Amino acid sequence: MLNVLLVDDDLEFTEIASNIIEFLGHNTFVASSIQEAKEWLDSQPFDHILLDFMLPDGSGLHLLDKINALPAQPFVTFITGHPAVKGLLSDICGPKIDYLIKPIQREDIESALTPKSKNKKAKSRSKAHFDCLIGESAAMQELYLMIERVAKTSANVMLLGESGVGKEVVAQAIHKASGAEGKLVATNCGALSKELIGSELFGHEKGAFTGAVAKKDGVFMQAENGTLFLDEITEMPIDMQPNLLRVLESKKVVRVGGTQELPVNCRVISASNRSVESIAADKVLREDIYFRLAVFPIDIPPLRNRAEDIPLLANAFLAELNQENDCQFVWDEAQLTRLKDYDWPGNVRELRHCVHRAFIMSDPSSTQISLPKTFHSPFSLVKKANSGIEAGQSIEDVEKELIRLTLEKVDGNKSAAAQMLGISTKTLYNRLHAYGEFET
Amino acid sequence: MEHDKPLATNQLVHNARGPLNRISMNAEMVKLVIENDMPKDKALAALDKILQSCQECSGILQQISDKQGG
Repeated sequence: MLNVLLVDDDLEFTEIASNIIEFLGHNTFVASSIQEAKEWLDSQPFDHILLDFMLPDGSGLHLLDKINALPAQPFVTFITGHPAVKGLLSDICGPKIDYLIKPIQREDIESALTPKSKNKKAKSRSKAHFDCLIGESAAMQELYLMIERVAKTSANVMLLGESGVGKEVVAQAIHKASGAEGKLVATNCGALSKELIGSELFGHEKGAFTGAVAKKDGVFMQAENGTLFLDEITEMPIDMQPNLLRVLESKKVVRVGGTQELPVNCRVISASNRSVESIAADKVLREDIYFRLAVFPIDIPPLRNRAEDIPLLANAFLAELNQENDCQFVWDEAQLTRLKDYDWPGNVRELRHCVHRAFIMSDPSSTQISLPKTFHSPFSLVKKANSGIEAGQSIEDVEKELIRLTLEKVDGNKSAAAQMLGISTKTLYNRLHAYGEFET
Repeated sequence: MEHDKPLATNQLVHNARGPLNRISMNAEMVKLVIENDMPKDKALAALDKILQSCQECSGILQQISDKQGG
C-alpha cells in the first residue's frame, strides 16, 4: 500500500481518480494547488506524487525543488494534457520521474504506481495480444481477428505455417481467448513412437501392454473442457489416423486395452509446417481427417512477411532477458535495422535465439547489446539488398557496390569484409583507396 | 493577428483534454463497478458525469470549428 498525493485543480478528476487509486489499494491525499501540496509534503511522507503540470499557482515543476529536498524522495508522475510538454518532461525525467498524458486510463495509473522494475515487465507484457502474441503488422491484425472469431466457437482449428512461426503460441492464444474451463494440453505427434501413440492420445488400462503398470488418461481426457494441441499432426502414422478420426467424430475414446467408451469434450487445435497443397499431394493426412481437423484453418505468416514486427519482437525478447537477469541492455536503431533486413528463415524462434545469443555475448558493464557480425543460417534466403545492379553498368561500379554492401553487412569491419569477398585485406584497402569515397 | 489563431486553437484543444480525461476516468469507474459487483448508483453517477463531459467536449469542438471557420 502506497501513500499517494494527487495534485490537480480539476476537482472532478481528483475525486474519481482518488476513488480508483483507493480501489487499487493505496491511500490517496488530494491537493489542488502547489501551496496545498507543499503543506501535505510538510505534514507526512509520500511514496508517490501524481502531479498536474499546470496548476493555478504555478507549474508542477515548482514543486520539484521541494520534493528533491525531502529526506525520502517519492516517485513523481507528471500528468499533462499538453503533448508539447511531453518533450520537455522526457528531458527532465530521471529514474524517479515519469509522465502521463491525458486522457488517462486505469492501467496508466496502475503502471505508474508499480515499482519501476515490475513496471517494465508490465509494459513489455502489455504489448502482447492475448498475453502472448507480439506484432502490430496487418498480417498479425488479421490473425488476431481470426483468433478472436474462432475462439468464440468450438470449431477445430488447424494451424499452418513454417517452422518457428509460433504455432503453439497461437494455440495458447486461442485457448486463452476461448475462456475454456479446462487446460491446454499439448502433444507432439511426431515425437511419439507408433507403439505409444495410441496410449498417449487415448490412455490405457492397467496391464494393457508390458509396462502399463497403472491406468492412464490420454491427452484427450486430460484436455477435458479445454484445448488439445496436436503439433506436427502430419507426422502421425497414417494407420493411426482412423482411430483419431473415430474420436473426432464420436467424441468418445476407448483406452488402449479397454472396452468402455468414455465421452470427451475438447477443442482440437492441430498444427503442421507443411502447406495444404503438400498435405494433399504427399498424402500425409487422410482427407476425411483433414476436414475434421481443419474446420477453421489458419495460416500463420512467416516473420519475413511482417518485418515491421521484428523490432517489437526484439525489444520484447530483450526486455524479458533484462528482467530475468536484472540487466539494462538496449538496441540501437542500426541494430534493429539489421535485424529487420535479415530474412529469418527460422522465423520468430530463430530471432529469439539470436537475441539470447547476443545477450550472452554482450559486455555486462555496458548497456549496449552486441550483435554478431553476420547472422549465419544455412537456410537463409538473405535478401539481395537493393544493389541496383543493371545490365550495362561498368564493372568498376558493380565492384564498388559489392564492396559497399559487404562492408555494410559487417558493420565496416574490413578484415571480415575482405574474408567474405575472398580477397586479402590489403587488396580491399587498395580498392578503397582507389575509390577515394570509402576512405575514413 | 494571424498568429493568435493557432495559439487559441491549441488552447482549446488543451482544454478539451480535461473533459476527455474525466470521461476516461469515469468510464474506468463504471468498469470497476461492473467487474466487482459494486453498488450500481456509483456507476450511474459516473455515467452522468461522462454525459456531462461529452457535452462540455462538444462545446469546445464547436468553439474550435467556429475559430477555423471565422
